[in-house]
Amino acid sequence: MNADLGPLWLSCKVATAATIGVALVGLPIAFILARFRFPGKGLAAGVLALPLVLPPTVVGYLLLLAFGRRAWLGAWLERAFGVVLVFHWSGAVLASAVAAFPLFLLPARGAFEAVDPRLEDAARLLGRGEFSVLAAVTLPLAWRGLAAGLALAFARALGDFGATMMVAGDVPGLTQTASLAIYDAVQVGDSSRAAWLSLGIASIAAAALAFVQRTLPGRGGRP
Amino acid sequence: MSPSVGGALDARVVRRVHPGLTVDVSLKLGAEIGVLFGRSGAGKSTLLRLLAGLDRPDAGRVELAGEVLFDLRSGRDVPLRRRRVGMIFQDDLLFPHLDVRGNVGFGLRAESRRDRERRVAEVASAFGIEHLIDRRVETLSGGERQRVGLARALAPRPRLLLCDEPVSALDLGGRRTLLDRLRDVPRVEGVPVLYVTHSPAEAITLGTRLFLMEAGRIAAEGPPAEVLAGSVRAEFSHLEGVRNVFSGRVAEHEAGGEWTRLALDDGPSLVVAPVAAPIGSRVAVEVDGDDVLLALGPIAGLSARNQVEGTVEAIAVHGREAEVLVRVGGLRWLVSTLGSTPAELGLAPGRSVRLIVKARSVRVEASPA
Repeated sequence: MNADLGPLWLSCKVATAATIGVALVGLPIAFILARFRFPGKGLAAGVLALPLVLPPTVVGYLLLLAFGRRAWLGAWLERAFGVVLVFHWSGAVLASAVAAFPLFLLPARGAFEAVDPRLEDAARLLGRGEFSVLAAVTLPLAWRGLAAGLALAFARALGDFGATMMVAGDVPGLTQTASLAIYDAVQVGDSSRAAWLSLGIASIAAAALAFVQRTLPGRGGRP
Repeated sequence: MSPSVGGALDARVVRRVHPGLTVDVSLKLGAEIGVLFGRSGAGKSTLLRLLAGLDRPDAGRVELAGEVLFDLRSGRDVPLRRRRVGMIFQDDLLFPHLDVRGNVGFGLRAESRRDRERRVAEVASAFGIEHLIDRRVETLSGGERQRVGLARALAPRPRLLLCDEPVSALDLGGRRTLLDRLRDVPRVEGVPVLYVTHSPAEAITLGTRLFLMEAGRIAAEGPPAEVLAGSVRAEFSHLEGVRNVFSGRVAEHEAGGEWTRLALDDGPSLVVAPVAAPIGSRVAVEVDGDDVLLALGPIAGLSARNQVEGTVEAIAVHGREAEVLVRVGGLRWLVSTLGSTPAELGLAPGRSVRLIVKARSVRVEASPA
């Protein structure tokens, strides 16, 4: 049993880190896409949603092209910070975060768009600056959609296989997340290990879905 | 507080809204209620947005209480949050995630907790919403929501209050209550109020000054009843609701409560259906031109209560319909007839006629004396 919990624990760690990364990068992008008009907006929104439709192995391959040790971005990261993503669990974080990103971005953008901009104007007329408007009006009104998007992104990151496999590889104890471990277990005929891991990962994903379903209805209520 | 130069608005704003409409307005207002009146599309709401700072004028200058808020020449444009301009809207735009207390205190964040609570309690009692203070806003009625919106706008002590048709979605009771509260604002808060409406009754009972807006410009300006009476000219007759609008006072209640007699300013007295307001109350009176009959002389044995003598001033025939302008004392009445009627009656400018008005055809809106 002890050996079974390792990949599950790694999956949770990777998915949590990926979700935090998605939130940090995705929140401002979702807000900008919802509130501003600029040239190339449609193209930008399309590119950001691309991981949703690309095969995960293609997403992983593109990430390798950019972050491999001999690729320019990867080489720079290694020189400047000593960070090597390939065959490291941080590579799994990057891969699953990119794969999960659109699942946060789309509902988050919708949540921001659903906030009546006239309410934000009313707040400004009452003496609030931009940051205060965001913190006191926009975020509290959009939070349900944002939380739902985060839960979806978490569930997607939790289950990523293809992109993680391409970037981080399948190193037991190091980068072997639950999805990869299930695949390996089936390959070697260890069906009880595959079943236990599947049950574990499915329970966590189902909990995330339950959270989404509890959160989504009645948008705009109090936190 | 009396109207003072210190609390005054002095603005000239120009903005091209679309190829067919350029708002170009100069406007001065002291601590009183100015009514911005006109048909939809005349640029009233745009003007409010320009004064608030929600939209940027293409040219002009806005000065409020001695401070320049906007000046194209010097490039000055005070940001919205520092303008201290309060605004209420047709939709109340309350924050749905906050309760009434949170909404009313929203503009008081810079103040200490104690000062904030004191001011919230003060405006809550001024607008009759103390009992609602812990309620969530979606549990309030339309009239209550608008009163909360008004309290919220006034809590941070703005220097100008802008009202964009705030009662148009309310029922009669809610309308009356909000207008009563609004009427005291210039005196209590010492600030100018600019109120957008297309209801002549609101204009007359609420405003001390009226700006008639047409196609982006102010076409006439003055005491509401005077401007509205003046606006009853042939070119305005297509303006729905601007037909016969007068101001007056309640003069007499019939002992049995059957009717009320009104004395119109500069005009005749009218017997109307009972008005629930004490003698001396100010009233706005509206009579549709379709509800007035014309007679060449006095008529005996008639059920209508009012026969008012006047003089034909002008006649406009538009095909199958005609409009006859009749002067009665200092007032002008517009009467609609069939196109052939003026000729059949031999009407001509200078001819004496009787206006026949049923008591029940007169719409009356009272305001407290």
